[in-house]
Amino acid sequence: MSGSKPDILWSPHQPDRFVICDSELGLYRIGPVGSAETKAGTLPLSEESAATLLAINSDTPYMKCVAWYPKHEPECLLAVGQANGRVVLTSLGQSHNSSCKDLVGKEFVPKHARQCNTLAWNPVDSNLLAAGLDKHRADFSVLIWDISSKYSPEASVAAEKIRLSSVDLDSSTVVTKPLYELGQNDACLSLCWLLRDPKLLLAGMHRNLAIFDLRNTSQKTFVNTKAIQGVTVDPHFHDRVASFFEGQVAIWDLRKFEKPVLTLTEQPKPLTKVAWCPTRTGLLATLTRDSNIIRLYDMQHTPTPIGDETEPTIIERSVHPCESQIGSFAWHPSSQNRMVVVSAANRAMTDFTVFERISLAWSTTTSLMWACGRHLYDCVEEGAEGVESMIEKDIATKMRQRAQSRYGHDTIQVWRNHVLAGGNDPQLKSLWHDLFYMKQCAEDMELKLQGNKQSVVYSGIKNIVKTSSGTTESRRCWSGSDRQTDVPRYHSEERCLALRLCGWISRGPEIDMEAFLRSLEQEREWERAAAVALFNLDIRRAIQILNKGATAEKGDLNLNVVAMALSGYTDEKSSLWREMCSSLRLQLKNPYLCVMFAFLTSEPGAYDGVLYESSVAVRDRVAFACMFLNDAQLPRYIDKLTNDMKEAGNLEGMLLTGLTKDGVDLMESYVNRTGDVQTASFCMLKGSPGEVLKDPRVQCWIENYRNLLDAWRFWHKRAEFDIHRGKLDPTSKPLAQVFVSCNFCGKSISYSCSAMPHQGRGFSQYGVSGSPTKSKVTSCPGCRKPLPRCALCLMNMGTPVSNCPGTGKSDEKVDLTRENKLAQFNNWFTWCHNCRHGGHAGHMLSWFRDHTECPVSACTCKCMQLDTTGNLVPSDSS
Amino acid sequence: MFVARSIAADHKDLIHDVSYDFHGRRMATCSSDQSVKVWDKTENGEWHCTASWKTHSGSVWRVTWAHPEFGQVLASCSFDRTAAVWEEIVGESNDKQRGLSHWIKRTTLVDSRTSVTDVKFAPKHMGLMLTTCSADGVVRIYEAPDVMNLSQWSLQHEISCKLSCSCISWNPSSSRAHPPMFAVGSDDNNVSCGGKVQIYEYNENTRKYSKAETLMTVTDAVHDIAFAPNLGRSFHVLAIATKDVRIFKLVPMRKESTSTGPTMFEVQIVAQFDNHNSQVWRVSWNITSTLLASSGDDGCVRLWKANYMDNWKCTGILKGDGSPLTGLSGQPTAMSTMMGSSVQTSQNAINGMSAGRYFFPPLEPPTVGTRYGHLLPPSSLIEHCEAEPVQPQPLALPHRLSSKTLLSLPEAEGQ
Repeated sequence: MSGSKPDILWSPHQPDRFVICDSELGLYRIGPVGSAETKAGTLPLSEESAATLLAINSDTPYMKCVAWYPKHEPECLLAVGQANGRVVLTSLGQSHNSSCKDLVGKEFVPKHARQCNTLAWNPVDSNLLAAGLDKHRADFSVLIWDISSKYSPEASVAAEKIRLSSVDLDSSTVVTKPLYELGQNDACLSLCWLLRDPKLLLAGMHRNLAIFDLRNTSQKTFVNTKAIQGVTVDPHFHDRVASFFEGQVAIWDLRKFEKPVLTLTEQPKPLTKVAWCPTRTGLLATLTRDSNIIRLYDMQHTPTPIGDETEPTIIERSVHPCESQIGSFAWHPSSQNRMVVVSAANRAMTDFTVFERISLAWSTTTSLMWACGRHLYDCVEEGAEGVESMIEKDIATKMRQRAQSRYGHDTIQVWRNHVLAGGNDPQLKSLWHDLFYMKQCAEDMELKLQGNKQSVVYSGIKNIVKTSSGTTESRRCWSGSDRQTDVPRYHSEERCLALRLCGWISRGPEIDMEAFLRSLEQEREWERAAAVALFNLDIRRAIQILNKGATAEKGDLNLNVVAMALSGYTDEKSSLWREMCSSLRLQLKNPYLCVMFAFLTSEPGAYDGVLYESSVAVRDRVAFACMFLNDAQLPRYIDKLTNDMKEAGNLEGMLLTGLTKDGVDLMESYVNRTGDVQTASFCMLKGSPGEVLKDPRVQCWIENYRNLLDAWRFWHKRAEFDIHRGKLDPTSKPLAQVFVSCNFCGKSISYSCSAMPHQGRGFSQYGVSGSPTKSKVTSCPGCRKPLPRCALCLMNMGTPVSNCPGTGKSDEKVDLTRENKLAQFNNWFTWCHNCRHGGHAGHMLSWFRDHTECPVSACTCKCMQLDTTGNLVPSDSS
Repeated sequence: MFVARSIAADHKDLIHDVSYDFHGRRMATCSSDQSVKVWDKTENGEWHCTASWKTHSGSVWRVTWAHPEFGQVLASCSFDRTAAVWEEIVGESNDKQRGLSHWIKRTTLVDSRTSVTDVKFAPKHMGLMLTTCSADGVVRIYEAPDVMNLSQWSLQHEISCKLSCSCISWNPSSSRAHPPMFAVGSDDNNVSCGGKVQIYEYNENTRKYSKAETLMTVTDAVHDIAFAPNLGRSFHVLAIATKDVRIFKLVPMRKESTSTGPTMFEVQIVAQFDNHNSQVWRVSWNITSTLLASSGDDGCVRLWKANYMDNWKCTGILKGDGSPLTGLSGQPTAMSTMMGSSVQTSQNAINGMSAGRYFFPPLEPPTVGTRYGHLLPPSSLIEHCEAEPVQPQPLALPHRLSSKTLLSLPEAEGQ
């Protein structure tokens, strides 16, 4: 340890103590941040933990290396290797029992002074301390001291000499005779005891790695290599050793020591520390000089000695515990993957846990499961209630909720579907209103014309106005004003239809907007109502509406001001009113108020201020266009708007496209944007059965939606959807899935049923048949042979079963009404596909409530357990 | 808001993969302890381990479910160079009553000479097909011609990707307009080897898979890859876990009916986030591909969501050890810790790891008026997201620790 550069050691036994050593030794205790013991002097290590300084020891100058005594007692005993080669035992803190007193202050002095590079306590024989020293001529460089050895008289001469240099030492504490001397004529840079045999010592010598055996010190195994620094044994695989040289780490297998089993990618800067994680197999942490990154190597395999030529999988990772450059780090001995990092410069410490690679998966119901290390975490989206939270909810959650509220299933009051969807999505509101008006018009037309005008209604305003012919122009007075206007308004049958589709007028030949205005007033959409009234050239009505809005409860008094401004309307081209209106209208926040003045101030035929105000609902803009744009302008505007809507995937544009190929295009970009296949499916099913349903994209949405319902186990909803779809798209009806054939004649027992429709469709309905000419209900309708018997009641099938099942439990009486409802179902045939035994469905169900095996004697089939999916409960049943 | 709770997994070593079945009621985990565990969810939302068995003689990297239409079938792959197919059977004893199920090995696929790094079933509409990829750079596609007999699998295709493969993903689209397609990622570290994500497409005429695209911009090691559920969209979305999270959009170009070559794609990068600060390990899409979850070396799980303008941003950060739930005792403490952490984070962010763990900034509600207004570029959105994590409403907190809300699913509440 070169003066300034700190190192960290965790206490081998107390999980909350560690020592930082640079020029002195500092003992810290780590604890949670919020604990009561936290005092002002604590250093925050992370969000949760802080360290308290317990003791400082600066007795031992010139520290080069430190090792913590591995046994419980005495705790806090440290061996310090100094620059002159001496090893001093010292202690930190409280414990001053006898055994400790004897040891603390003991010094182990080599013959020749040179730097002590490394120290290692024997993990088993804990009184053995190995010290690795620099080279001194032919002297030994690895000395193993016995700390329990007493002052040796034969060494007293040498001790005397030393006493001259360090006067303050008590001679009885100086030991000069090592137990073993190894590594002659060499230098030792790193040491570690082998865990598989504590008599073996691995040493990183000058140019080789050597294994010394204390039982036979004359021999050593060695391998020549440059990677001799920082030798360390993997605590989980005692044959695996790591060492490094410059920027390269070598991993050795002691069973085939000739060469490294692998070398890790070289780093540009020299390494300073390499350490195996003690709590996790195969995780090696490395630190290079001047870096704020700790690089981790995850060796995800069990090393095998021989015969495995495959490259082991190594996952390289890097963690970034703090911003400053890291001086050193130390794994916590017991806390999972935890380490403390100390910065190179200012001894700032960081408590840090290396997370395992997290693998994760979403469930179908938007809950997230992840695995971190050996632990699993289930993470669910909390069902936050309220309208506000609905906005930020994911579409998957929304679709699930909408499916449960039967969204899309209201085929009469079609517009109500947007309420079922939550009622807060303006696009859905617009879409379902469009579809509602289309349906209304279509029904109406059919009554009136009996022709096939239905497809016209569903083809969208874009197509409707294209066919427009016989447009008449009219100039009308402003009602409530005697001035003749020069605002031309256009009329045609098609434009009228378009206005109906926009919802502005209801059925009837007259363009009467009063009903629409009243409904808007009811909805308290004052501004919109006023704008519609104004577009109907009824300025007085508009003012009246605004006044009403201002006086209404929670009304906006500013509307009165707007009404005032409106009442000053003049068609004078150069009036002050006009000038002010056209400049100030842009400051109005409400888009409808804004377009009102835009309309009043624009030249006839040039209504861009109204038509391109994107905050005004598309239906209102389109209705406006149908009234005030001529035959040349109108299709151009509608086309442009349609394309914009298609591009944006804005459902308001459905009004223009209708349920045509254009509509599918629009819906496609909506689905691309939102993933809302639910709306797409239901919307496309609303139109007339035609080309759109055959479009592969529509089929794809429907399939995807059904698949979603299945995955959510909304099987009832899926079935309802299929029924709904079958009504509108008869081609989607599946064929009969199962036929039961008679044992004797081989004919389907339902075959004859369908041939005689007057007898009813279901087999179970035979029970009420009274006519003697008809075949008996318990026999095959083809050959009149009896049907098989129920395995439980031993009656021929077809017999109406009694409502009280044989088990006769008392609590089942309560359920009697329910049983009655199910009586029809109880009569049904059922059988196990595996053992082919069966009977009445009701009997079978009640049997398997208490049994697992088939009721037929000697049949051990576990009929009810065969199908795992069959045991799943639909999540949408009431 | 997402809330995490811990499940006692009882694996003896690292868990490498978690996989849900089609209905989300069963789950499989696999681990370095060479075993696979199957978990079933009870009606009250608890997970119970119903099977645990040794599957391989090495770390099990991945486990995956087949569609339930093919039965209860799992596939696993391992460092021991094999992949295996498992099927649940009804045992002789009353195992089911004791809450245990029995799984038997139907086949072992031994074609790989190196570690099998990923295994995936092909989409259901293609039949029962299994794909493996291995460290030697080979993708193998197996088919069970008879879905009733899972012990017979024939190797249909062997595709050499030239680079060590780490992950594979099928395009889940069932649309007939999209031919079968999968993407494979490589964990090769060498940047000069070019694109690490290759996309292969089935050609009806040659009856072979051929390379349709290589994402040349992804040059770092790829750890995971995931096609988003298509859900009837006209394009494909691919999430990639490499040194950052990336989302690509593959828009098929209109193909002339005469051309027989692979589909040409217009490749757009939709998002790229380096918030994990380092390697990203996994990515996963939710069922509608509107939420993406990623995990990285910062030890966090991050959730990403796109707004209506297709701008992706971080909507949640969860610490990988789920610590807040276990570490916090009362709500007042919970609040103050959150406040405190947000302050600290800005100063010495430990890898962004401490950044307000329970911070879920509310997405701006899409108002009609502000359709094209003030949209910041994605990166600054994220900055913004981390700068003010004091947001979570205190009202939401009391709910968080009540066990009822934790356990019950929204669907159950609707009943």
